[in-house]
Amino acid sequence: MYNHSNEPKMNQLHSGGVPRREFLVGLAALGAAAALPKALMAAQARAAASAQPFRIDTHHHFSAPGFVDEIAGRKTGQRPLMEWTVQKSLEDMDKGGVATAILSISEPSVWFGNDNAARRLARECNELGARFMADHPGRFGQFAILPLPDVEGALREIEYALDTLKADGVTVMTSYEGKYLGDPAFARMMDELNRRKAVVYCHPFRAECCKNLQPELGPAVIELGTDTTRTIASVLFSGTAARCPDIRFLWSHGGGTFPYLMNRFLGVAQRPDMAPRLPRGLLYEVQKFYYDTANFFNPYALPTLMKTVPVSHVLFGTDFPFGAAPAQVVAKGLSDYGFSASDLRAIERENALGLFPRLKT
Amino acid sequence: MKIMNMVEGEARLSHSRREFLIRLATLGAAAALPRVLSSAQTPAAAPARPFRIDTHHHFSAPGQVAEMIARKTGQTPLIEWTPQKSVEDMDKGGVATSILSISEPSVWFGDDAAARKMARECNELGARVMADYPGRFGQFAILPLPDVDGALREIGYSLDTLKADGICMMTSIGGKYPGDPAFEPVMDELNRRKAVVYFHPYRAPCCQNLLPQGTGLGGELVNDTTRAITSVLISSTVVRCPDIRFLWSHGGGTAPYITSRLGGAASKLPKGLIYELQKFYYDTAQAFNPYTLPSFKKLVPISHILFGTDYPFGTGSAPVAKGLRDNGDFSASELRAIERENALELFPRLKS
Repeated sequence: MYNHSNEPKMNQLHSGGVPRREFLVGLAALGAAAALPKALMAAQARAAASAQPFRIDTHHHFSAPGFVDEIAGRKTGQRPLMEWTVQKSLEDMDKGGVATAILSISEPSVWFGNDNAARRLARECNELGARFMADHPGRFGQFAILPLPDVEGALREIEYALDTLKADGVTVMTSYEGKYLGDPAFARMMDELNRRKAVVYCHPFRAECCKNLQPELGPAVIELGTDTTRTIASVLFSGTAARCPDIRFLWSHGGGTFPYLMNRFLGVAQRPDMAPRLPRGLLYEVQKFYYDTANFFNPYALPTLMKTVPVSHVLFGTDFPFGAAPAQVVAKGLSDYGFSASDLRAIERENALGLFPRLKT
Repeated sequence: MKIMNMVEGEARLSHSRREFLIRLATLGAAAALPRVLSSAQTPAAAPARPFRIDTHHHFSAPGQVAEMIARKTGQTPLIEWTPQKSVEDMDKGGVATSILSISEPSVWFGDDAAARKMARECNELGARVMADYPGRFGQFAILPLPDVDGALREIGYSLDTLKADGICMMTSIGGKYPGDPAFEPVMDELNRRKAVVYFHPYRAPCCQNLLPQGTGLGGELVNDTTRAITSVLISSTVVRCPDIRFLWSHGGGTAPYITSRLGGAASKLPKGLIYELQKFYYDTAQAFNPYTLPSFKKLVPISHILFGTDYPFGTGSAPVAKGLRDNGDFSASELRAIERENALELFPRLKS
């Protein structure tokens, strides 16, 4: 196991579980075997001292006063979000070796029935996010929140957030008013996001269908992840994924439950009415999506995710401020799983650099 | 290589000879192995002597078929089911015995008296099929839930008189999940009888047609299994009823993939979430594919995985056996456990 307090020898660097032969193959695949020991030792030194943070956290929540008012008024129970401060973010990032966190607004997002109010609240959140980016150079990015299901407002906010505020992408919920992301109502917006080759980060929503099915359980236990699965299916079977090939979809929490149910959806994709909407096949699209590790880094979940999607499409996400010291805990969970050093480095940093080249230093 | 060829005809061991030998060694009883293997052996040319036990195998009764047709549930294979079709598929897939069960939407459609009658019709038909094909069938008797009194009566009749092998429940019915306080008398009685309780997912009213053109149906079904699992955890039914052998369909719905979330349902479990999840049994119906199996077998001990096919839905039994071999990286002895021996522990009458 990767041990931060001891000085690991070279052959322990890749953390537990990976045979030495595979490790060497992994090294070779990096294509620069000669340079590697140095690179690895540098990574080791960084991690050991937590001196220089290097991780990029793509699932990291913040809140704005107007948003806090709404969640407090609605008694959503999201206390850590209500008590969020930028200092708390920075502390957790420092503890967990996170160089940059891409900020996002969590559910229930900013729309509560009134389009104008939603547009205003989205703007407030996005401008606040931009201010944190400016106040703490290099430490933050932002997925700008959209006032959906108001598509006009969303289009306006896409332009402002990406062009003026220089957001790194946009945040959407899995569903709005029972409509999933492949719904024709959202097609125009998806086309615009495709034109901009945007990173579209999708956070689950407490769907109306499934509130209080089990009143003693919080929504996070089952229903949030399930809504992610539905919207992935919606994007695939509506043909949106194939029509908008330049959108980089980023799904929360290891894709909800989609990878575990992959085979069921492969079956649906073979139907004569569905196959034409997935000309390159369902598996191609699923492996083109990105997935984060928020609340999703334990030994039971990862085997199916890693069987389903390539390492290069898994991104380090913590779900901050939910959970205790999430950045540290997620990093340890990934390390304990037995990824090779190069796979870990890809998940924790390099895959994100592919999506956000501005973060390359 | 000879040893490998001896293992069942359709077995395609995906690992290398070296790994295979390592697995043999880890079985810890190398001397006894040839015998174990030869009991699993099938003559190369002739069809296998059936040995598998299929714990997820549906049948239907005329009254229930009428309901499915009237409700346009689209379950054509069930509507057209006959015992002969079951036997044919079992012979093709090397299945010795199938434990019959009624699928969703079960037998309750709002009228308790009608549900009791239909449950009785189904269970008596199942018993007749068991008698007509000795050794080939068992039965998980259907209960007319959410009618608790009717369910208690049917538990007594089906287990005592019809000698059913266990009970079939839906993951939810009438909006109630199995940990619901209303169902406590049923669960307590099943616990007293140390019953095997097989759960089949239900099309929960919350979640029909959330996605267009039926593209979400399969996913929604299994989500209800996950809800039922969390229900018996959060209600601490599993603690109160430790002798029920819970058997979950389809690789446990989505539970093995979201154990990090299920902690939220584990506040009343003195032995912890993972202990309870690993004490349950799970079948392989729809789960024998390359994507589901990695997390499934990481969570569930081999001894708690049961061979299930979903017949007459899905692929039939032979492809399930093949899928387990192609995608599960199971050793020969693990396959033997999954396909037969684990079920014998639950149903000792099938030991021959």
